[in-house]
Amino acid sequence: MKTTAKRALTGAFVLTALLGMSSCASSDESAVTTPSIKVTGQWARTSPAATTMGAAYMTLSADTDDELVGASVDKSVAMMTEVHEIVMVDGAMKMQQVSSIPVTAGTATELKPGGYHVMFMQLTEPLQTGDTIQVTLTFAKAGDIVVDVPIMEDAP
Amino acid sequence: MQITKKMRAVVVASTLIVLASCGDSENPVLFGYTPPSPKSVAAAQISEVGSQTPFTFKANQGEVLVVYFGYTNCPDMCPTFLVALKNAKKNIGDLAQRVDLAMVTVDPARDTAEILPRYLSSFTDKFHALIPSSDEELVNVKELFQVTSSVTETNGKIEVVHSGTAYVVDSTGTVVVEWPFGLDTESMTNDLEILLTQQRTKQ
Repeated sequence: MKTTAKRALTGAFVLTALLGMSSCASSDESAVTTPSIKVTGQWARTSPAATTMGAAYMTLSADTDDELVGASVDKSVAMMTEVHEIVMVDGAMKMQQVSSIPVTAGTATELKPGGYHVMFMQLTEPLQTGDTIQVTLTFAKAGDIVVDVPIMEDAP
Repeated sequence: MQITKKMRAVVVASTLIVLASCGDSENPVLFGYTPPSPKSVAAAQISEVGSQTPFTFKANQGEVLVVYFGYTNCPDMCPTFLVALKNAKKNIGDLAQRVDLAMVTVDPARDTAEILPRYLSSFTDKFHALIPSSDEELVNVKELFQVTSSVTETNGKIEVVHSGTAYVVDSTGTVVVEWPFGLDTESMTNDLEILLTQQRTKQ
């Protein structure tokens, strides 16, 4: 009887310890998989007449290294959204899609004219100065973050 | 510590010296790039929307002509430049009436006569929408300006490569300053003011 009680007690202790450990592990994991991302200075350019393309810019910072792997908007804004960059090729500028933009902890990552940008294709309506659109940014670790992006003619 | 008259005089004198060295009104400095041997683009001709005669790259007397090679499906660089120019024109007040803009589309298959002028009207009401009527026409113009561009299609996606530089041309068809992509509004304002003042002096 005494032995059984001892065994039960030991079992309970081990179980509690295991539970405790597993909860610790999961909290550690969550700290890594959901780092905080800060988005500042976001804006989208007023779309000129006769074009259905648009671009948005912002500064990204993170507590832990992450990557911007995609962006999207509602179909009421644009049919397609991609992440692009401008690169220099033989003295000329070429715009190309990128699979991700690295966001290094402690360093501001800028999406700005002539560099990285979120590109909207087949705009449903023109982007008009003073309006605001919602853009969902998808990060490899932090997941989706929805930001309100004001539309302006020029950088704030 | 009390500021004496002598100290004040020293401060005023040094401020004047600094100001004089920065803003030499006799030799104002252009912020854009001025090539050692300026290009002449006077011989280039290209079709202009709404005009029966080919466009030549010469500013009207007393004006400057800003030439840009771009395309309307360009969400980043083209509007960045065109908005900077628009704001620079706002900064120079009445002088802005003497700033002409010519945009050569490097993507003539998509930039039709209906699209390009509408696009440009978002930035200025004084412009020339230039759409090459043949590959040869575009090649000739690009040769004189020494710019490159290409349009290619890969997996259904059209990719356009173009120079981001803008060229400011005088009434003789000489490129007087080149603005690399990213030059800010303040620098363009500075250059336009200098060039337009020079134009007036020449008249």
